[in-house]
Amino acid sequence: MSKFIFLIVCFFVPFHVTAHESMAESQEWLSLVHYHPNFLGRYKGSIDSESFYLAKDGRINPKAELEATIKLFVDGSDKQKMCLFPARYIFLLNNGLIEKTNVKCEEFEKFKEDLQPSGITMIFTDAYMNNPSSLFGHTLLRIDTSRQGTQMIAHGANYGAYYNDENGFLYAVYGLTGGYFGGWTIKPYYNIINTYNNIENRDIWELNLNFTKEEQDLFIAHLWELGHTQTRYYFFTKNCSYMLVEAFDAIRPSLKLADQFWLQTIPLDTLKAVYRKKNLVKNVNYRPSRQTKIIYQKQQMNAKQQKALLSIIKDENYTQLTELSNEEKTIVLETAYQYIQYRFIKKEFSLSEYRKKSFSLLSARNKLPSNKENNMEKIRGHSPLLSHESMRATIGVGSRNGENFQEFSYRPAYHSLTDNNYGLLPGAEINFLNFKIRHYDQSQKTVLSEFDLLDIRSLSPIDNLFYPISFAVSLNVSRETHPQTQKEGYVGNGKVSGGGTIEVIPHVYSYIMGSGYGSYGGFLPHNQYVGIGLSGGIFIDYKYFKLLAEVEKQIGSNWYADKTKYHIEANIPILRNLGMAVEYRYDNNQQGKNVEEYLTSLRYYF
Amino acid sequence: MKNFYLYSAVSTALIFMSASAQAIDSTGCGLGSMAWRGQSGPVPQVLAVTTNGLTGSQTFGITFGTSGCDPNGRITGGTQKMVFNFIENNMEQYALDAARGEGETLDTLAGMLNVDKNVFAAKSQQNFASIFPNSDVDAIYVTQQIFAMIKA
Repeated sequence: MSKFIFLIVCFFVPFHVTAHESMAESQEWLSLVHYHPNFLGRYKGSIDSESFYLAKDGRINPKAELEATIKLFVDGSDKQKMCLFPARYIFLLNNGLIEKTNVKCEEFEKFKEDLQPSGITMIFTDAYMNNPSSLFGHTLLRIDTSRQGTQMIAHGANYGAYYNDENGFLYAVYGLTGGYFGGWTIKPYYNIINTYNNIENRDIWELNLNFTKEEQDLFIAHLWELGHTQTRYYFFTKNCSYMLVEAFDAIRPSLKLADQFWLQTIPLDTLKAVYRKKNLVKNVNYRPSRQTKIIYQKQQMNAKQQKALLSIIKDENYTQLTELSNEEKTIVLETAYQYIQYRFIKKEFSLSEYRKKSFSLLSARNKLPSNKENNMEKIRGHSPLLSHESMRATIGVGSRNGENFQEFSYRPAYHSLTDNNYGLLPGAEINFLNFKIRHYDQSQKTVLSEFDLLDIRSLSPIDNLFYPISFAVSLNVSRETHPQTQKEGYVGNGKVSGGGTIEVIPHVYSYIMGSGYGSYGGFLPHNQYVGIGLSGGIFIDYKYFKLLAEVEKQIGSNWYADKTKYHIEANIPILRNLGMAVEYRYDNNQQGKNVEEYLTSLRYYF
Repeated sequence: MKNFYLYSAVSTALIFMSASAQAIDSTGCGLGSMAWRGQSGPVPQVLAVTTNGLTGSQTFGITFGTSGCDPNGRITGGTQKMVFNFIENNMEQYALDAARGEGETLDTLAGMLNVDKNVFAAKSQQNFASIFPNSDVDAIYVTQQIFAMIKA
C-alpha cells in the first residue's frame, strides 16, 4: 500500500510541475498578469505597481509569479492579499490548480453589489479641439448594470493620468515622457454623460461588447485587481486606450488586441480594432452631445420656428411662438432650453439669470402636451468606425520652379483638412510627425523637404447660436530656397493663428485669420526672423470633393520674410482609404526669386 | 488655558475637515473620484478631461456631482439616497424631461423607484408645477416631491 502511494506521489509531483510550467506560459496566464515578450522573448509585466506581483521577480518571471499566486491561495492565511486578486483566483480554480477557499472578500463583494454588472461597453468620446490631450478622442468603459431603469445608473470605469495643475508645457513633457502615473477611477455613467455630452459637447459612441457571463465576472474581478495598481502614463503609447485593450486581452486572450498597439495607441484605432474582432461587438449606440442636438434641432426647424427661437434666446420674447403649432412650439422651447444650458456652461450668464431663463422656458413647455415626434433618436451621426485609417502615405510627382521631382510622404497620425472627414470632427485638422522626402531629377538629389512636428487647425463656423474661434498651431522644419542666392537650407518654423470662419453656403466655408510666426535657421539672414501675417481662405467640404484655397500676406522682421503665399489643395476621396490630390503653391517674395510648385499625389490611409 | 487648547483643537479639526471636504468636492463624482480604497497622492483626474465641474449648488441648476456623491464614485445606498444623488446630478435634464413628459431621466427614475415608466412620465408632467414651484428649488425638495408624487 505504501509503495502504491509512493508511486502515485512520484507520478503526481513531476506531472504537477509540468502543469505549472505549461500553465505559466499559457496565453491566459500571460494576459492576466499583462506580460509581454520583449525582442529577446523574455517576459515583462506592463503594470508598474510592485504590489501587483506576488513573487520577488514576478514581473519578469511568469512561472515564479504563478507559483507564488498558487501558494497564496493554498496557504490561505493572507486574506487581505487574496482579496486583491479575485481574477487570479478564478483562473487558478478553473484550471484545477487550487481548491475553493472560504475567504469572504467584503469590499469586493460590495463593489459588485454596487455595480450589479450585466455587460461591458466600450465608450468612445469624440475629439475635443480645445484640449491638446483630447485631440484624438478618449476611450473608457461602462460596466452595464442590471439595475432597473436605464444605463444612466451604470458605472463608467476610466483609466487616466493623475496630474496636478502643471502648466501646458510641463504637462506635455510629463505626458509624453511618462512623468505621470495612470490609474483607474469609477463613477456613475450619468456623470460621464454630463462631462462629455453636456459640458464638453462631445459626442459619445457606445460599443456593447459580447462577453459571456463568465467573461464578465472575470472582467469585474480583473478590474478590481487593476484598480489597485498604478502605471506610468505615456500619452501616445501606454494611455487610456492601451490599458483598456490589455484588460480585454486579459479576459479573452485570443483577442490579442494589445499586440497591435506596440508603436502608438490612438483611441479611435483601438475602437476600430475592437469593432473588427469577430463576435466582440454586439451593438453600436450613439449619444449626441448637447451642441449636436441643438444644431440638429435647428436644422429641422422651419423659418418661423428659427425666428421664434432667436427672439426667445436673444430677447426673451415669446410672442413669435403664437404663429406656430403646438408641436412646432415644443421643439423651439426645448431647443432654447438646451441652448441656455450651453451658454451657462460657457459662463455667459449669472446663476440667477440662468435659473430665471430656464424656468420660464420649462414652464412654457410644460403647458404643451408631450410630443413623441420630437425624438432625438433620429440623429444618426457619422460613425467614427467608418473614418479613414490614421496613418497616411502619399506618393506624388511635381515640379518646383520647373524642376521635376518625385515625392513620398508618411504621416503616423491623424487627419488633414482635405482628407475624407467622414466620422471625424468637421473642419478639424491634426497632423503629427508628417514628413516628406523628395527626389529632384535635374540636380539628382534626394532630400527631406519637410518635417511637421505638429500641425493643428480648427475651422469651426460662427452662426447666430455659436461663436467658436478658429485657430491653427504649427511647428515644422522645411527645406527652403534663399530667394537671392538660390542656396537651399533648413528652416525651423513656428506659427500660431486665430480668427473666424463662416459657412457661406452649405459645405462651403470662408475664414480669415491673423497669425504670429517665427523662424530659425543658420541659412537665413541674421539666422532668424519673426513676423505677423494675415490670411484668408475658402474651404469646400463636399463628400467627394475637398478644396482648400488660401492667401497669406506676411510681414517680417527682415526682408526674407516679406512675402505673399498662395496655396490651393484639392482632394477627391475615391474610397474611404484612398484619395487623389493636387496641390499648387506660389510664394511671391518681395525681393528675389519667387517659388512655384505643382504636385499631384495619391493618398493612401492604413 | 484649557479653553485655548479646546478652541485650537476644535479649529484645527474644522480646518482639517473643511480641507478634506474640499478634496472630495474637487474630485466629486464629476471628475474621477476614487474607486478603490487606499489610493493616495494627487487627486486622480483624467488627462482627457479639462473642464472642472461647476461649483456645487444644490439648487436648481447644473450641478454635475458635487456634494452627496459617494466617495468611492459608486451608486450605492438605499433608494432614497440613490434618487437624491441622481436628481442632484441630473436636475436640469430631469426638469426638462418632466416638463415635456418624456426622456431618459424619467425612465431611469421610474426604474429606481420601481414604478411604471409611462405612469411616472405622465405624473411628472402633470405635477411639474409642484415639483418645480419656482426657480430656486433644490435637489432635496425635488426628491421629496417625487416621493410624495408616487405615493399619491
